[in-house]
Amino acid sequence: MTHAASMNEVPSGPELPGNPGTYADPESSGEPGRQRILARETTSSRAGAAVVAAILVIAVCGYALLETAVRAVGQPPWLIDPQTAADQVTALPAGVPPVLLGTVGAILLAAGVGFVLAAILPGRRARHILADPRAAVVVDDEVIASALARRARLAANVTQEQVMVVVSRREVQVNVRPTSGVPLSTGDLQAAVEAELRDMAPEPMPAVRVNMASSGVIGA
Amino acid sequence: MNGTPRVLNRILIGIFGLLLLAVGLLLVLLAAVPAVAAWWQGWSSEAWDRVRTGSESTRIPGQSESWLWIVMVLLLIAVIVAMVAWLAQQGKGRSNILVAEDDAGEVPGYVRIGGGVAEQALRAALAGRPDLAGATVATYDFRGRPGLRIRVQPRQGVAPHLLAAEVSALVEALDAVIGRRTPVFIHIGSGARSRFGRAERVR
Repeated sequence: MTHAASMNEVPSGPELPGNPGTYADPESSGEPGRQRILARETTSSRAGAAVVAAILVIAVCGYALLETAVRAVGQPPWLIDPQTAADQVTALPAGVPPVLLGTVGAILLAAGVGFVLAAILPGRRARHILADPRAAVVVDDEVIASALARRARLAANVTQEQVMVVVSRREVQVNVRPTSGVPLSTGDLQAAVEAELRDMAPEPMPAVRVNMASSGVIGA
Repeated sequence: MNGTPRVLNRILIGIFGLLLLAVGLLLVLLAAVPAVAAWWQGWSSEAWDRVRTGSESTRIPGQSESWLWIVMVLLLIAVIVAMVAWLAQQGKGRSNILVAEDDAGEVPGYVRIGGGVAEQALRAALAGRPDLAGATVATYDFRGRPGLRIRVQPRQGVAPHLLAAEVSALVEALDAVIGRRTPVFIHIGSGARSRFGRAERVR
């Protein structure tokens, strides 16, 4: 209630364009709108699956439309008359080799499972959220990985090819192949990567795991 | 941030998937299990007979064809139109205007600022940076309000939080110029250009 009261005390006089005090707009830059943008941008929109499904339905319906329209005006069919097609479908296991029938069925089954899973699964994208006072910021995991790889490479003093970083939602895996004869400390490396990750503060915060390869690289 | 109807996508994709699943399962069972084949032949030919007697009784007077065919044609057209409408919903929401409102000043009128202002200003500000492989800025309608979508592709090894802070500072400067805080979405992504381009070594 105090919040509402304080809101009412703000004078609602004419706004001057360019005055920094008046362009604060609670709805546009506030938390709810940003949370919604972030929620949408870290999950898949399934536009690809939708386009594929719609095009398939359009193709099947378009062909059926052609044959039905031809039939409706009493013309000879293009490929197959709908009535003959229905007769063949009702007689189904007969008339078609069972291997072909089973294969077509299995393909349709697999495609159906794929679409159903695309619809049901949460569809998270490989992205993390960064905190920012002004904008909604989303980073691809690949970008985080390359930044962490650079930091690990500098901390371990090895070449780019000796470090590989894999970032997933909850874990960062740092794989390092040390240079042969140059000792490397896993703890130092872990601390360096963790410090970089703390500065970055992605959400959700992943845990760091350093894998030191047992064999070194010669002449790097 | 675009207007793709996500819930509708999930529902329709789910229905389509279930249909494919049912047909596929039926075909596999027909091919593999003789009992299912016998049941299918009995059930489907009965259903087909019912449809056929129905079409006999709905003949167009004076013609040999049933009007059920015309109903079928209309139904198929309706489905196709619905699918095209669904396709048109994907990724929609591009907008041309960033700000449009009454400025409540002494001069009567309406202020409109095109999205191109913000897009070109930000693109120009980001263009010369050596740590970026590419940047695109677009205006989208987000829940009825225009918002900016900034996509930057840093080169390999660039720290995303520093880049985000710098882009965010640019946006704050833009806010001061435009006089409105619009919703802003910054996507720091990777593409072919950042993946295969050279790493940024000096920073």
